[in-house]
Amino acid sequence: MLQIRNLHAAVDGKEILKGVDLEVNAGEVHAIMGPNGSGKSTLANVIAGRDGYEVTAGEVLYQGENLLDWAPEERACRGIFLAFQYPVEIPGVNNTYFLRAALNAHRKFHGEPELDSMQFLQRVREKLEVLHIDEDLLHRAVNEGFSGGEKKRNEIFQMAVLEPLLAVLDETDSGLDIDALRTVAEGVNRLRSPERAMIVVTHYQRLLEYIVPDRVHVLADGRIAASGGKDLAVQLEERGYTWLEEGGIGELESAAEA
Amino acid sequence: MGDTQPTQLRSGNVSPLVQRWGETLTELRPASGEPGWLAEIRTRAADAFRRNGLPGNKDEAWKYTSLRRLEELDPDLGGTDPASAGHDAGPPLPGLAGFGFRWSGGRIDFRDTPAPEGVTIEHVEDALAGGNEPVKDQLKSLFESIEFGSRARAFEALNTALPGPGVVIHVAAGVDAGRCVAEWDLPLAAESGMHNPRLYVVLEAGARLELIEQHGGEPARSGSAHRDVAQGLNLLFRAELSEAAVLQHVRIQNEDNDGIVLTFAGVRQAASSRYRFSGFDTGGGLVRHAIECFLQGPGAQAEVQGAFVTDGERHVDYHVCIDHQAADCSSDQFFRGVLGGHSRGVFNGKAVIRAGADGASVRQSNANLLLSREAEIDTKPELEIHADEVEASHGATVGQLDENAVFYLRSRGLSEAAARRILTTAFCRAVADRLDDPGMSEAVAGLLERAMPREMPETAPEK
Repeated sequence: MLQIRNLHAAVDGKEILKGVDLEVNAGEVHAIMGPNGSGKSTLANVIAGRDGYEVTAGEVLYQGENLLDWAPEERACRGIFLAFQYPVEIPGVNNTYFLRAALNAHRKFHGEPELDSMQFLQRVREKLEVLHIDEDLLHRAVNEGFSGGEKKRNEIFQMAVLEPLLAVLDETDSGLDIDALRTVAEGVNRLRSPERAMIVVTHYQRLLEYIVPDRVHVLADGRIAASGGKDLAVQLEERGYTWLEEGGIGELESAAEA
Repeated sequence: MGDTQPTQLRSGNVSPLVQRWGETLTELRPASGEPGWLAEIRTRAADAFRRNGLPGNKDEAWKYTSLRRLEELDPDLGGTDPASAGHDAGPPLPGLAGFGFRWSGGRIDFRDTPAPEGVTIEHVEDALAGGNEPVKDQLKSLFESIEFGSRARAFEALNTALPGPGVVIHVAAGVDAGRCVAEWDLPLAAESGMHNPRLYVVLEAGARLELIEQHGGEPARSGSAHRDVAQGLNLLFRAELSEAAVLQHVRIQNEDNDGIVLTFAGVRQAASSRYRFSGFDTGGGLVRHAIECFLQGPGAQAEVQGAFVTDGERHVDYHVCIDHQAADCSSDQFFRGVLGGHSRGVFNGKAVIRAGADGASVRQSNANLLLSREAEIDTKPELEIHADEVEASHGATVGQLDENAVFYLRSRGLSEAAARRILTTAFCRAVADRLDDPGMSEAVAGLLERAMPREMPETAPEK
């Protein structure tokens, strides 16, 4: 589904990604871990197409096509979803209106008829129940005055409604208490399916206790330093990122192969 | 300016027009049946106008609004031909029910819907000639309250010097008058020039009125000129709110690109009365709204709010002044502006807290979005405090859309143009959402959305 080859990307002229290689197949959940400043969020934003992230070398293929050619909205309509680390508050735009406009943009892109508000609400209510979200959220302005947990749940709710093929969750666990973390993880797990791939970007292993990944990658200084199974995350958590920076990569790689 | 103009005119110096208007005022004869006190006020107003002329950019209150567009007017003072007709295209928000009237040029047609019991709506001349002494006294007091001595108040002088036409609405104590709709429909072609109607509102103790003013036509009509000749409106509005009276005043203005709309509102408020002005404006050739509230009794409240969306060469100017003269009064000014193209907006919001007007609460907020490099907003909040225990906040911002928000919407599948449109509309909605009537909120929000600049700088395919 997603192939990243030798990806280099810069922000404000400073190179952050220095040759990332990554392959994610349909049905898989990949975790990307790494210390602050390693380039995790940059990778997520490059995939989603945020302005200011300049790809200087390499390629990103999505279903065999060059994803970097597409505007952010086209990526979204083709099935890519980014759950934001910091969801944006948008006063004056209510959630229902926003989500229906987004969903209808997707439907239009695929030549499907747009949903009217009744059809939309029907579809949305089912998702609300699953995610334990109060219907009141629909009538509020997008993320305005939401708690940290509500914002993250709203991201997962949007994901549930838009049904992406490739979801990138950028630090979805940051700022969540354990209950909110469980709810969010449950929402994510329900969306796991053989057609859908997910990339979970996180600093901590904690989230991966609830969203169990198929593969774990460690991003360090703009490169994938090591890849392995879910145990890699546990080991990394125990030994800390400083150990990694102090030259533990060799050990880690052998651990990954074990 | 073409070669046909006899005199070279400069901004702030529309002297041939002033001269012609002055001559017209001199030629005026006292209207029949007019009381002596009114003839005297009109004479003084005419003198003031001839003495002062029109304001220019050296007058602080007119610094950012050029009167150049007045040059396009036929120098006749319109509004005396009862046969002149409106454009018949319907007001910006069609289908509003209620009693009220439609003005077009020299003519005022009252609606068939009768005013509720305890409410009178009539021509000012009829009220002056009629037998209702309290109403006559109120009218006299309203006329006497009009300030026209300085050059900055030349339009008040001009309006007051002319005999009419005008409408007065009177609501008896304790009566809820409901909705009154006033449509101001500048004539299509019949008679060019500056029209000078007036509207007076008197609310007795505890009375309530919702007044919806509509200017210009339906949204489809804005954006192009439809008249053969330039037309101007110089509307004088005065209201007297007795104790605990409530006036909800909504003004929707959607004149075309050549339309000239100047309005001057003065509201005197007794104890615990409440005045709420909500303006929704798309600008025009030259549009200026002056709104002054005089909080004369303790606990009086004034809320003056507005949203404007301008594009092309359109212009809109709001000058608000709230004068706290008594204790424990509150005022709130809340304005949002969205400007595109080469359009220009002005917001001047002032609050004065006089000595002794202690315990005042004053809020002012003006935020603006500039959607093009050529658009301009001049915003100036002013606060003048001479009292104690005043709670005041004010702020003015000028900016562009939050790019994080634009990306957020795009990352969900909305096109960049749609994202910008949604965010811009939401920005203005903050004012529409303050209306009590959800249907009206939707309608005005829709009107402003349709007036949004089509061309957003970042999405413009060319240049």
